[in-house]
Amino acid sequence: MWQVYRKELLELVRDKKTLFFVIALPLVVFPILFGVMGFVMANAQISEEKKVHRYVIVGAEQVPTFAEQLFYHKSFKKVDLAATDIDTATKAIRNDLIDVALIIPSDHQQQMANNQQSQWQIVFNDAVLTNRIYGRIRDLVVNHSDQILTERLSNLGVPLAQHNALIKPVTLAKVDTADQRENLGEKLGGLIPYILIPLCLVGAVYPAIDLGAGEKERGTLETLLLTPIPRTYLVLGKFLTILTTALLSALLTVGSMGFWALFMGSIMDIKPVHEAVGVIGLLDLSLILLLLIPLACIFSSMLLAISIYARSFKEAQNYMAPINMVVFIPIVGALVPGMVLNWGTVFIPIMNVALAIKEIIKGTVDYSMVGIIFVTMTTIAVVIIAFSIHWFGKEEVLFR
Amino acid sequence: MITVSNLAKRFKMAKSHKLSDAEKSDTRLHDGYFHSVTDVSFECEAGQVLGLLGPNGAGKTTTLRMLSSALKPDSGLIAINGVDVVKKPLLARKKIGFLSGSTGLYGRLTARENVEYFGKLHGMNPAQLSSRIDELFELLGIHEFATRRAENLSTGMKQKTSIARAVVHNPEIVVLDEPTTGLDIMATQTVMDFIIRLKAQGTPVIFSTHHLDEVSLLCDKVVIIDEGRSCFAGSVEELLQHTNAQNLNQAFISVITQKPSAAPLVTPIANQNEEA
Repeated sequence: MWQVYRKELLELVRDKKTLFFVIALPLVVFPILFGVMGFVMANAQISEEKKVHRYVIVGAEQVPTFAEQLFYHKSFKKVDLAATDIDTATKAIRNDLIDVALIIPSDHQQQMANNQQSQWQIVFNDAVLTNRIYGRIRDLVVNHSDQILTERLSNLGVPLAQHNALIKPVTLAKVDTADQRENLGEKLGGLIPYILIPLCLVGAVYPAIDLGAGEKERGTLETLLLTPIPRTYLVLGKFLTILTTALLSALLTVGSMGFWALFMGSIMDIKPVHEAVGVIGLLDLSLILLLLIPLACIFSSMLLAISIYARSFKEAQNYMAPINMVVFIPIVGALVPGMVLNWGTVFIPIMNVALAIKEIIKGTVDYSMVGIIFVTMTTIAVVIIAFSIHWFGKEEVLFR
Repeated sequence: MITVSNLAKRFKMAKSHKLSDAEKSDTRLHDGYFHSVTDVSFECEAGQVLGLLGPNGAGKTTTLRMLSSALKPDSGLIAINGVDVVKKPLLARKKIGFLSGSTGLYGRLTARENVEYFGKLHGMNPAQLSSRIDELFELLGIHEFATRRAENLSTGMKQKTSIARAVVHNPEIVVLDEPTTGLDIMATQTVMDFIIRLKAQGTPVIFSTHHLDEVSLLCDKVVIIDEGRSCFAGSVEELLQHTNAQNLNQAFISVITQKPSAAPLVTPIANQNEEA
């Protein structure tokens, strides 16, 4: 068995494709990808922050103080354009002459004098998710509105000190019992299994195809079957090889993510990252790895069984797409808000591991649940390995 | 010495499997099974070279796979120097060297590592294995490319390495399934020389082929298989005599076209009572 294991590993190490999937992907490609993604997102945010919006106020003469505030606002630039109503403003926005138009009713001052409510209209393109036009104008308008409110209350003879009590008789203050770790874990914890579990799979896919269908395609399977090694050992040797690459892939990912998080955290001095990595102790990390082992066993044995069945590399690859789906659905299921580890979900393979990893990161995991998951997953793994061994003994599978 | 008697093997046909007209008309297809081999018997003595002939799909590969223990026969007996291949496959495998035309090598291992791997799987100890490999590599002229990866070798070099791999464990018999198919003249000659060498050592060789010139050059004995049964077994001379043919081509065709009339020289005599 170890002869098979050693030889398969040697062969994989000499293969550039495996090295790429198992080592380069988690160590180099993913950090770069995440880095670039973060950089682009941060940049987009900064440029949006810096953006100056061109505006037109229709009926500015009604609100001279407000118009002046807007004129001196660093994010707004007045454009001289004869927009008079929604239609002309819309046209101007479409033609990229202005970004936003504010339409003040022509009887605004009249409404104010009569203590009436006045509705202003803001015309802009709201399809751009990142734009801040609405928020900025709203802040200004609320501010303006508050000033008028204060004026009106004062005119009614309400002392300034009682204004708040009159406007909002009851307020609600939030006292959060969740510590920072739990908050962060809820947000980050869902993401980590989303990266870790598929990587376990990716680490296993290529070697599995190579070790099963690859042997058939190269014509080495028959000679291997004719060696005086029981087929059980052949399967176990191959299985262990695939398991090694799957776990290695996951381990390297955890390691490299930890390293990059600490590195970037210390360079950019991002406190939450520092704290998040700090609170996830060694015990938690080893618990995560402990859960990944039976999961990787399931992936490895499942992929090996499929790969043994396939006649060629190509056929094996065709079977991998549905497998990916089967793996992804429970992970996505675990990401759904409200999904928690309980007596039902603990028995759903893959989803249970994803949920448990999240709980571990949050620091709220029930250790007996982890035990149950470990036993459940190990049992499934053993069953699939047994099936692979049985499968490898069947002539109609080997000589299709 | 190897004895094969009344070997039979059928394969289950998948229901979804679409059959071509030729397959449907094959008499070996009935009750949901394809009876690939129905009755094959022959013997091969020490130092003999036995050529297995037959049209495509006659059951040659299935027979040789059963012989080499890759497939388990449904019935019949295979014995190699007294060891029952069917009952003790692990023991029998140590006695068999197998090579086919489609046998490959592990591309990312060197020629030497390929041979070493199989030597180790056959349970050879390192010292024994090393000296055996040196001896084989010397004999076959592999030393010059022993440290190159198999994927970078020429077809001839690959075939030499495959031969070394097949016999690294000193097998008592050697089974070759169309070993020269797809090879060029030089590589074919390597295989032929190898068979001659085995014969000189007294190792029985059983090989299937479509090249009748190889048969007349190498074989002490010819077995013709058609539609899953052995319909002739004897020497090349006996085959010519039996069919009154001028050459092997004619003799071969006459045996195939005359079936299933009894072939008197078949030893041991094949059963003719099946599928009548």
